[in-house]
Amino acid sequence: MLSPPLSPHVIRATFWRTWTVTRRAYPWSYFVGTLMLGVFTVGLAHLGLAAIGGGRVAGDFVTATGSADYLGYVTVGAAAFMFVTHGVLWAGKALIQEQREGTLGALLVAPAGRLPYLLGFAAFAFTAIVLEVSVLLGCAYALGVRPAASGPGDAALAILVLGVAVFGMSLVLSAVMITAGEAHITQNSVFLAIALLSGFTFPRRYLPGVLQWLGELVPTTAAMDVLRGVFTTGAGPAPGRTAVALAVGLLYVVVGLLWLPRAERHAMERSY
Amino acid sequence: MIETQDLRKEFRDGRTTKVAVDGLTLAIPPGRVTGLLGLNGAGKTTTIKILATLLRPTSGTVRVDELDPLRDPKAVRHRINLIAGGERMVYARMTGRENLWYFGQLYDVPRAVLGPRIDELLALVGLTGAAGTVVERYSRGMAQRLSIARGLINDPAYLLLDEPTLGLDAPIARDLRRVVARLAAEGKGVLLTSHYLAEVEELCGHVYVIGDGRHLTEGSPAELTARTGGHRTVRVTVPGASPEVEAAVTAFAARAGTVAGLDRAGDGALVVSVSHPGEIAGPLTMAIVGAGGTLAGLEVTEPSLEDAILALNDAAWLVTA
Repeated sequence: MLSPPLSPHVIRATFWRTWTVTRRAYPWSYFVGTLMLGVFTVGLAHLGLAAIGGGRVAGDFVTATGSADYLGYVTVGAAAFMFVTHGVLWAGKALIQEQREGTLGALLVAPAGRLPYLLGFAAFAFTAIVLEVSVLLGCAYALGVRPAASGPGDAALAILVLGVAVFGMSLVLSAVMITAGEAHITQNSVFLAIALLSGFTFPRRYLPGVLQWLGELVPTTAAMDVLRGVFTTGAGPAPGRTAVALAVGLLYVVVGLLWLPRAERHAMERSY
Repeated sequence: MIETQDLRKEFRDGRTTKVAVDGLTLAIPPGRVTGLLGLNGAGKTTTIKILATLLRPTSGTVRVDELDPLRDPKAVRHRINLIAGGERMVYARMTGRENLWYFGQLYDVPRAVLGPRIDELLALVGLTGAAGTVVERYSRGMAQRLSIARGLINDPAYLLLDEPTLGLDAPIARDLRRVVARLAAEGKGVLLTSHYLAEVEELCGHVYVIGDGRHLTEGSPAELTARTGGHRTVRVTVPGASPEVEAAVTAFAARAGTVAGLDRAGDGALVVSVSHPGEIAGPLTMAIVGAGGTLAGLEVTEPSLEDAILALNDAAWLVTA
């Protein structure tokens, strides 16, 4: 019997496997780490605003972002960055983790497709991220942050757009990692690049023109504009930016899915 | 039947190209254990990885029950499985049962079949009692046995075994050999590579010998041993042997076209060793007795597959050099 391309049982099984392994590997330290990350991100922004800006932001910032709520701006950016980095890490590092654990051959010789397998990781990542972002938002709420929201439908669309961007990037990153045979330098380079280019913690218009243009090649950049429209300004998702975010994100998905089989063979050849 | 025709695999590393498999033609029929032998670097693991769809051949063809792995990799993967002794191939932070369940999902094994099959496989590899223990607490042998159970989770028609008993204790390796023999008797096609040539000799009905990726010879273990002119070794212990006995043995060996080994045991007894392709135990003992010697022990060692493989490899090396 041949598996359908999007085998739901493989997605479910991979989700369950990752959940079980993570729970055993980090019984409580994982959640403490997540809590600390949320507290520090919003807490430091709060202290910085009080100590440096005297509790106020410059007029230029308001012009650039459409909001005078710096903490709200940082909270949305930090939550999105957490979503992106953890999402990309979980799904992107899945295959190289298999390689390190000595299970890549057993996985590749099985008939299950790579897409449902990675969707299983993405589903787990999404669940974990919801937990992490909830902690961060809870900390922000305690500090008086009240992000705007243009409606639950818009919020769902923004999260979906960001999810497509993250999944596309994780597929490409996964192919890069198993081709290069290393994860650390690759992931740090990617995270630094997207932190700089995608406008998570500062408005992109502060960047030189070339970097703004380069940022358009990263799917999280347009996705962040959609997210800002929904959660920072409350104006709702701009249709143009939503289309760009989905198009670039889906392009990454296609490129990743086409590249992965070659990358997997390369990984196998490296160990001949 | 798994068949390959003129299989070739090149690996490129910068400007250099290494040919790992060079024109290999093999047949692995159902119901037989087929051996693939050669020294390290001969191309065995590369060949197995190609058959397992993990590598693409540079040229040549592979067919698995007429299916082309390049066109129908998923259909082929349902029919095969791979067990590699050098790799763990199971998840350390999952229990034995969880591992088998997860791989059962990857192979799309129906739920009604999977549960009983997991129980059966755990019993087969002797891990029923450790089914709920996470693999990181297993010994190496236990993890290897679980890997074997994983290799059978999809009830494959063909099993590719790359050094399956590597690192296993002798009783477990013996049990595994029994399992492999039973699987072949039940109709599965098995390809086996192993450094333990006694294992190959015991299990394989047909053996391919390769060197530097090329086909050197093939046949049953007995045929290979005979074809490479394997020598029997006769060891005779002669207590209190006189110089006349030593002279008679030396002369006998010279007439037979070989050389006799003459050593003294701790108790002073002469230990005579003569290697020869023919039946020389009788004439040798008669020569000793004829020179006034008495026999305290006689041992004949038949030529082994190991001798044959070494001889073949040496011959191939000489040709290459």
